[in-house]
Amino acid sequence: MTLYEKIMAIYPQLEQQDFLTTITLQNDSDGKGDYIAKWEHTLPRPTDEQLGAA
Amino acid sequence: MSSVIIAGNTSGTITLDAPAVAGTTTLTLPTTSGTVMVNGPAFSANTATTQSISNATYTKVTLGTEVFDTNSNFASSRFTPTVAGYYQINAGIFYNTGAVSGLGQIFIYKNGSEVNGTVNNMSASGYCGLSIATLTYCNGTTDYIELYTYHSFGTAQNVSSGTTVFMTGAMVRSA
Repeated sequence: MTLYEKIMAIYPQLEQQDFLTTITLQNDSDGKGDYIAKWEHTLPRPTDEQLGAA
Repeated sequence: MSSVIIAGNTSGTITLDAPAVAGTTTLTLPTTSGTVMVNGPAFSANTATTQSISNATYTKVTLGTEVFDTNSNFASSRFTPTVAGYYQINAGIFYNTGAVSGLGQIFIYKNGSEVNGTVNNMSASGYCGLSIATLTYCNGTTDYIELYTYHSFGTAQNVSSGTTVFMTGAMVRSA
């Protein structure tokens, strides 16, 4: 499951547009995988525990 | 001596040789404001394998095949020119997506931030091609250039391997 899919499982009300504006996911192809580069949404940033359980 | 005039011979050729000093890459005219550029760095690279791009995730494109790299400035899918100047950067990408729809985007990044980007809104035809060209300044020491992409096709999608996913660049003017 990708980071995007985990976030959508936690917050199914999010829309694609949110990931072009208030949320930025990034992958620098350095072996570390996808990560949250920016979270400015009114919903709280998901914790590592939430993402791990998603 | 107030001036030097160099006239071409009948073959139409004039050759100015740079000093034979390691690392010297320019011929400088010290009494004017200009610098004569001689063979600035240039590179061309494309993908060696397909790469999976997660939905809604800005992802650096891995360019594992070097076509040429004249000054050994390209490594780890990153161009870090060692000569200060203005660089023309071109890139293209091809998503072989299957029947999906959404936004496809391509970006030139400098030092981890976007310089320019383009976007294509694809239908359900199953393919998405994107290209970009830009001109940017690099300081010749720390500035570096990378290729990123983004899509909102709903699920992770592959970009193709080979010559349809590429980045090229060349110095077009000295600093």
